[in-house]
Amino acid sequence: MQRIEILAIALTFALIILSSAYARRFGIGREISLAGTRAVVQVLILASVILVLFRLPLYWSFVVLLVMVTIAGHTTYSRSGKLENGRVIATFSIASASFLLLIPFFLSGIFPFEARYLVPTGSIFIGNAMNISSLAIDRYRGEIKNRRAEIEACLALGASPKRAVAPSFKQGILSALIPSIDNMKNLGMVWIPGVMTGMILSGGDPVEAASIQIAIFISIFAAGMIASSLMLHYSTNSFFTQACQLKEDID
Amino acid sequence: MSFHLELRNVSKSVFHRVNETKIRTLLFSDLNLKIGRGELVTIMGASGSGKTTLLRLINRLSDPDSGTILLNSIDICSMPPQELRKKAGMVFQLPVMFQGSVRENIAFGMELWGESMDINALAKDAGVPEKLLDADTGRLSVGEKQRVCIARALSTQPELLLLDEPTSSLDSISAQKIETMLLGLQRDHDLTMVWVTHEKEQAGRIGGRRLILKDGKLEEHAED
Ligand SMILES: Nc1ncnc2c1ncn2[C@@H]1O[C@H](COP(=O)(O)OP(=O)(O)O)[C@@H](O)[C@H]1O
Ligand SMILES: [Mg+2]
Repeated sequence: MQRIEILAIALTFALIILSSAYARRFGIGREISLAGTRAVVQVLILASVILVLFRLPLYWSFVVLLVMVTIAGHTTYSRSGKLENGRVIATFSIASASFLLLIPFFLSGIFPFEARYLVPTGSIFIGNAMNISSLAIDRYRGEIKNRRAEIEACLALGASPKRAVAPSFKQGILSALIPSIDNMKNLGMVWIPGVMTGMILSGGDPVEAASIQIAIFISIFAAGMIASSLMLHYSTNSFFTQACQLKEDID
Repeated sequence: MSFHLELRNVSKSVFHRVNETKIRTLLFSDLNLKIGRGELVTIMGASGSGKTTLLRLINRLSDPDSGTILLNSIDICSMPPQELRKKAGMVFQLPVMFQGSVRENIAFGMELWGESMDINALAKDAGVPEKLLDADTGRLSVGEKQRVCIARALSTQPELLLLDEPTSSLDSISAQKIETMLLGLQRDHDLTMVWVTHEKEQAGRIGGRRLILKDGKLEEHAED
């Protein structure tokens, strides 16, 4: 290893130890040290995987992305309150949205079609699609639970489940996208986003870094919006019985 | 003779969660009920006796454990739930407004089913003042909301109206006004009505056949 890598990892561990020592008074010291250590190990494994991927045929990169999507799907699924078919729906939604948004970057030639670009870009989309879908499904479920009276009043008029949950659907998507919208507004004002930081730190041209960053940023937003819409759309039926009754045990 | 609504041996239990275990309580068993077209029936019973649950079985917001419910001699389980609900309108104990104006609320069922009805006439039938039609529903009093709910329930042109203590959250003057209005609707539109109330006096004023749900059984009310 190089000197810089050793220094960076040493700094990381020092901060993990200090943070968890401080956080002991809140009773989350152990959790922070575990999460921190886990993060370090995972990210080092990832780096080695990417290093290996550079030498393997390109389809291996897709295998790695698929593994990521599966894990992301599982994470969103657990946010959905163990919804019926939730795992399949979450994985499908995150996968379709992320892969769809990857296409223009490689078709247009912004990035060469290589593991070096495919895996990190893909993982950004997958990770953000996962976060946004998790927020959306969590809120959607909460809205449906709280709006039971309204939903049943709507069903009682002969409305379809889809029509009856329309306000909850809207609220779920909105609340999931608000953090991204706020981030977009403050882009470059309060924070320099990751991709741009990375490119600048590694000596890239700031204007090029900025153009790529903004394209990625909007793609993240679009991927999140598509993934969460698919997620909510396909999970609606899981809240209802065959006879269009709102299920009783939603929690 | 065929009946408009018929319940045959209908049983229903509910589950209460106590800590981690689910405890089953039988609400009623083997209920039988025959209601003719255009008939008005009141159902009384103590709070918690299962009156609301019984109404919810009729428009299939919930299903019985066993037994059959027939509308126009057809098992309701064999028709699409949405069509059943169009025919069997329901007014809930607590009025729920959808987002938007009073007019949009009243037009809801109509638009859902592509019916063309006169919103002003519906509003008038239910006693919703015309000047309120374009108001936001958030500003209405409970009584006004309940009137909007009644107009909205009528907007699908139901043949059967299920009323779940529609006046219980109102003061007695508004309650009696709505009572009179509903009775007028029943007569004018030849509606079949199942009216749940826990007030003996109200049941007396309403008239019609009087039933009591008690200890899981439905009994004809003895005249007193
Ligand atoms: N979905 C449900 N799950 C569990 N218990 C219920 C449910 N619905 C009603 N109950 C219980 O069943 C009983 C009867 O309720 P309800 O039909 O609302 O009675 P009523 O309208 O006569 O007051 C009550 O004890 C209520 O707590
Ligand atoms: Mg009740």
